[in-house]
Amino acid sequence: MAPRLRCATARGLSSALKPSRTPSLSAVLLLPSSAARTYATAAPITSGFTLPSDYVPPTKPPTARPSDTRKSQLLRSYTSLLRTTPLILLFQHNNLTAVEWSAVRRELRRALSKVAAPGSDSDELASKAQLQVIRTRMFDVALKIVEFHDPSKVAPTTVSALSGEKVQVVYNHDLSKAAYNAVQAATKGDEPLPESSAYAQLSPLLVGPLAILTLPAVSPAHLAAALSILSPSPPAFPAPTKKKSPGYHEPIVQNGLQKLMLVGGRVEDKIFDLEGVKWVGGIDGGLDALRAQLVNMLQSAGLGLTAALEGPSKSLWLTMESRRTVLDEEQNGGKEGEKEGEKKEETS
Amino acid sequence: MITRFITDVTTRFNPFSARARSARLFLSFLPPGARASGMNISAQLLPRASTEPSSLHIKFKDGKEMKLDCEGMGIKSIIEEVDRHSRVLQKEADLTAA
Repeated sequence: MAPRLRCATARGLSSALKPSRTPSLSAVLLLPSSAARTYATAAPITSGFTLPSDYVPPTKPPTARPSDTRKSQLLRSYTSLLRTTPLILLFQHNNLTAVEWSAVRRELRRALSKVAAPGSDSDELASKAQLQVIRTRMFDVALKIVEFHDPSKVAPTTVSALSGEKVQVVYNHDLSKAAYNAVQAATKGDEPLPESSAYAQLSPLLVGPLAILTLPAVSPAHLAAALSILSPSPPAFPAPTKKKSPGYHEPIVQNGLQKLMLVGGRVEDKIFDLEGVKWVGGIDGGLDALRAQLVNMLQSAGLGLTAALEGPSKSLWLTMESRRTVLDEEQNGGKEGEKEGEKKEETS
Repeated sequence: MITRFITDVTTRFNPFSARARSARLFLSFLPPGARASGMNISAQLLPRASTEPSSLHIKFKDGKEMKLDCEGMGIKSIIEEVDRHSRVLQKEADLTAA
């Protein structure tokens, strides 16, 4: 039997190298040995291949939290969601039943699909919108990691490669010791977090049962459609009429919606309350319209500026030109030209 | 929590305040069929800048009204207070039924 390697890091590799016991036997037989006949079980492999003591398998970087638990992977999915999703609405859900959830999701999907023409970009956006229940505490931790852990600032660690040479590797993933330490350092102590940090603003919201609506892009039109379904407020975001969508007025959907409460939202790292979310949803024509407005403003400002700069020189040229024509006429006319010439010197 | 004898729940809170915690948790303790069984639940969310204290107002079937102080009480003590009266009503209901 091959001697057992005791170090934990080596185990990962040895299991990868030796899926069964038979290959190890043949490997031992290949080794040059002075003895005429050695049994595989007794063969020492010290002269052969040994792993460096600080070898780390590339597929299994060291982590601060156990990497193979469901919780850790949920944390990773939340951090990636927070990094990539520009528009998140937070809802408190008070004991919705499964039937109510599916009914609410169905109505939401229907309303979002009506926003854009089928086949366009924003149609795809609507299909990616998701209303999901989150684990509040895990989301809180993920928010802390996203806010306080900067992967680009983590110093590299020196570990041994398989061949024994030293290499520099950066372990800056979300479950790493560096991420854990950064979060601990930022939230340690009694002093409150700075008001400017998104985590400090959002953390009081993360209480009780929460669900999030995620949209993969900031699209006020889609946001308005979602708001008119999930938290209708008559003047700006009216609920769909009974004639247009009878499904929305079914008691199951209505019961479910009564138990959903919009508590806040995060739009591109800015935290908004109910009114703020409504304001974002109320931007007419979306971001493109805002950009068009900006371009229009800059263009008209530029026009004004050029007109203003051009004005004096143009008027000067006009006066000089008129003066010249007058002088020309007078030169042709005779003596009066001299008089005018003196006048011109005075003015100039 | 015994919710059979509650007829009316009215809360006002600012979700961005840490003190709104117990009011929000109280809402999550109400059973899924609470509205269907005739309980009136109204929750009003205050804007973010408001400093109004969060309030919880509960009415029972026998007409008793409770104004609970959400700022100072945790969710456990609120539930304790509500259950203290609910148990009295439960006892009465059991005696009349028997």
